[in-house]
Amino acid sequence: MRTTTPRSEELLRVGAALLACAVVACVAPTKPEELLQLHPESGAHKAMQTRHFETRDDVELLSASAAVLQDLGFQVVESERPLGFLRAAKERSAREYGQEITRVFVALLSVAASALGGGNSVVIMPVDVHQQIHASLVASPIDEAGDRFEVRVLFYRLVWKSDGQSGNEYVEPGEQRMEMIRDAGIYQTFFARLSKAVFLEAHKI
Amino acid sequence: MKPTPKIVLLPLLVALAGACVSRPTQEETDLLAPTEEQMKLRSFQSRTFDVADRTQAMRGVIAALQDLGFIIERANDSLGLVTAARFAEPRYYDVMGVTVTVRPQGEGKMLIRANAIYNNAPVTDPKVYQNFFATLERSLFIGRN
Repeated sequence: MRTTTPRSEELLRVGAALLACAVVACVAPTKPEELLQLHPESGAHKAMQTRHFETRDDVELLSASAAVLQDLGFQVVESERPLGFLRAAKERSAREYGQEITRVFVALLSVAASALGGGNSVVIMPVDVHQQIHASLVASPIDEAGDRFEVRVLFYRLVWKSDGQSGNEYVEPGEQRMEMIRDAGIYQTFFARLSKAVFLEAHKI
Repeated sequence: MKPTPKIVLLPLLVALAGACVSRPTQEETDLLAPTEEQMKLRSFQSRTFDVADRTQAMRGVIAALQDLGFIIERANDSLGLVTAARFAEPRYYDVMGVTVTVRPQGEGKMLIRANAIYNNAPVTDPKVYQNFFATLERSLFIGRN
């Protein structure tokens, strides 16, 4: 059986990241009408983001949700009690070793290529430096009697890039992009904590 | 003492320049008047549903938007207002924003209006709104599980 060393694994990861960037750059834009349509994966996303709780106390559920978000380092930025809505955010560093290694690798390659060509231009790729992680949560009743509530939470992040250099042109810092967080583990952790906080079992849908 | 030619000419020039300014065109006076396109757009964006309770209608709107992958950014129960956004995955640089208002209209009815913008430009395609209302109908009237 073939095994990969950590170094070759890192190189593979860097190569995959570069390939992914190239693919994303070529992707055709999604049409607006497709954005307001249900997709085959909508059900799976909903299942990951939602749990049911057998309780009549919606205030306790919402307040416990806010407490769990606080425990996870979030600040609550919006709330609307009658609709069971909460939005929270936290700021963190977004630096990753993979990106830093790629940045150095590309810079060295550009210096070598430019030296061979007789020039002196260098390419310094901007890397992710800062991120803002957001959580949008809604607790709503799922039966008319109000005996069961559903909690649906969605995590996403905003990432800011550092400055860079492309030949003689300086790339300003602060370019921004957004990403949905679809790591099931993050959602499981959140619901496990919420379940403990309200002393209730969280049921998957 | 006679006035200098400059002083005499100046008011004349101002008067002439004033006379040359055209009257406001029909287009300018209609800037804030509703156009036929706007009325059509409003009809695409609005639909009446048989729901008596506004909070229930708003919960339906929120659930529909969440099912469509939107992030709920703001919700105000007393104003009947929901604001949400989503990225045009896999291109995270394109963003669609939606504002939905829920207003009671007569006995047991709610008027729901959605305004969508795509990369800050208003969405005028009726198909977009038809898709949204189809999901909303499902969320309001068919079991949510």
